[in-house]
Amino acid sequence: MAEPPESRLRTPALFPILIRHFLALGLVLLSTGVLFLLRSSLNTSTIALLYLLPVLLCTMLWGLGAGLSAGSLAFLTFNYFFIQPYYTFKVIHTQDITALVIFFLVALLISQLVGRAKQNLIAAEAREQELASLYEISSSLAGVNRREEIVQILARQVQDIFLAARVEIEVLPVSDEAGFRLSLPDEKAYRQDPPAWVVPLETARGVGGEIRLWRKMPFAPESENSMLAAIAAQGALALERAALTRAENKARVLEESDRMKSALLSSVSHELRTPLSTIKASATSLLSGEVEWETEARLDLLNVVDEEADHLNQLVGNLLDMSRIEAGALEPNRQWNLISEIVSVALERMKRDLEDYRVEVDICEDLPFIPVDFMQIERVFINLLSNSAKYAPKGTVIRITARTENDHTMLVQLTNQGPHVSEEHLGSIFEKFHRVTNAERVTGSGLGLSICKGIIEAHGGRIWAENLAEGFAFNLVIPLTWNGRPATLVETEN
Amino acid sequence: MKVKPHILVIDDEPQILRALRTILEAKRFQVSIAATGEQGLAFAASEQPDVIILDLGLPDIDGVEVCARLREWSQVPVIVLSVRDEEKDKVLALDEGADDYLVKPFGIGELLARIRVALRHSAQLHGSPEPVVRGGDLEIDLARRVVRKKGKEVKLTATEFNLLAYLASNAGRVLTHRNLLEKVWGPEYTDNVEYLRVFMSQLRRKLEQDPRHPRFLLSDPGVGYRFSSDD
Repeated sequence: MAEPPESRLRTPALFPILIRHFLALGLVLLSTGVLFLLRSSLNTSTIALLYLLPVLLCTMLWGLGAGLSAGSLAFLTFNYFFIQPYYTFKVIHTQDITALVIFFLVALLISQLVGRAKQNLIAAEAREQELASLYEISSSLAGVNRREEIVQILARQVQDIFLAARVEIEVLPVSDEAGFRLSLPDEKAYRQDPPAWVVPLETARGVGGEIRLWRKMPFAPESENSMLAAIAAQGALALERAALTRAENKARVLEESDRMKSALLSSVSHELRTPLSTIKASATSLLSGEVEWETEARLDLLNVVDEEADHLNQLVGNLLDMSRIEAGALEPNRQWNLISEIVSVALERMKRDLEDYRVEVDICEDLPFIPVDFMQIERVFINLLSNSAKYAPKGTVIRITARTENDHTMLVQLTNQGPHVSEEHLGSIFEKFHRVTNAERVTGSGLGLSICKGIIEAHGGRIWAENLAEGFAFNLVIPLTWNGRPATLVETEN
Repeated sequence: MKVKPHILVIDDEPQILRALRTILEAKRFQVSIAATGEQGLAFAASEQPDVIILDLGLPDIDGVEVCARLREWSQVPVIVLSVRDEEKDKVLALDEGADDYLVKPFGIGELLARIRVALRHSAQLHGSPEPVVRGGDLEIDLARRVVRKKGKEVKLTATEFNLLAYLASNAGRVLTHRNLLEKVWGPEYTDNVEYLRVFMSQLRRKLEQDPRHPRFLLSDPGVGYRFSSDD
């Protein structure tokens, strides 16, 4: 008869088959000893009945095989010690022969019955265990969307359940994602040996990978095989679900960026048309020979064309910056720079927009160098100044101050006397196309502040806005260190 | 020098060419046009123009390469036209020997000023350099190493003077950070822009009326510095 399949999945075979048989035989011998002492006071049929006890016990404890061994040995010892003539296997009386035969048949029957019941119990337990394990796996895989994480969980569970010496899971590459391989405990274990078991990670859509298992213990084909197949199916499903979720996220991001692009296009075409219509109107007026323009009016029209061309150029510059930030291609070309120099270049460039404002700069010349991209930080100031010139009333003060906060950061503040922004909008003014007031009154792409944020963050700094008692402030924190080091002092010869 | 200075414009944008030709001819320049780098190089070799205006984005070869190849045999002043996208190329072109640059879109006043500087500079290359550079109330005596502001001598350190002298003797032209560092500090200092920042800021404090709004010592963001002697 075949050995019962490897029983519980979670407990190892504590008693390998041979030991179980020895134990069964031992128990029968022990019983024989006890019965032998009581031989004079018991008759043969009672002894036969009592002999059934150890056989029953063996079957229950160690399975059908052990029970059969016990039954066979009991048959022999019963005959040898308890049926006259003693100490021979000879049988003289017919009734003793009948007793022996019946004993053997009963032992056989009991072993079968009890053994089968036990086998069923074990199988039921194993199924329950299996279901519990599968449930555990599926619940730990639920909601996990990273392939690496899924494979990690899967490998750990397989190793636990099958007591594997090594588990390796290979995930094949799919469309734009590279394949990879994970090995528990590590690559080195059982490197030379071929895996004891290989199961594909397969779904309706095809094979996505493979689970490989190494272990010293032999495999029980039936139960373990189906268990491993079930786990592999779970894993494959989880991987597929994760792939679908990622694809869905990607689609959502694309959709979002599409939405942003159309918002950008509509905003941009509006913003482009405004200066263009001014330019077109001025140029056509000058071209038409119908009116004799006075010198002053001519000059005025030409100035409008010039100014609007500058606005267009600034808009295009902002669009380029924005697309670079979006593409993650905004790499600051860092050099050691002086904040005072950057600010004065920005102010010079914004001279025309700022002529109606009082600009005050309070920046100490002895401030340390900052490791920044000159042009990018200049653009930050240009955008902040342009924003101030849009919102703050004419004739008011725009102030720029800078000081070191500690050895690592510099705080730069640009304040104007513009209107407050409600607290809940303070953060979102740095988002694209966000405008606090209605778009008609204020021109611009709605990109300026989000570009500032993109640039400052690319420099490892921080930017935020704040309402002051009297006006509005932009705060910038700029790092003073580059690769963890501050600027070296320059010998000035003075 | 010819009566009418000859300008070669190498650019592939027909509208820019049309505008430049009209404007420059009105300003009494002789204007020639090339639409590709190769054509431009060939023309420069055969006609020897006085100034070349070179766009960096050409259809055949890169403007930077045109500049480098031109410099193998000619010292003709080159003014580079670039859009902001070509920031790095611009510095590269200057380091390859271009004399100046203009960012598109540009005002025509700026272009004419750059052409004037270029012509003056090329005249100096043939004659002897001016020993004294003047700008507003500043007077820089290159030979005697003396600087006067409103007639009063200003004390400068050796490095400060070397830096100022190099900028002033190239008055009107932008000099790249790399170029300045190499000439004033030495080839091993070409990446130490912080030296320039500090010494320029010192020079401004000593020479400018308002160091925050410099008139003579101008920053060219991302590129270098320029000494402006224009009033």
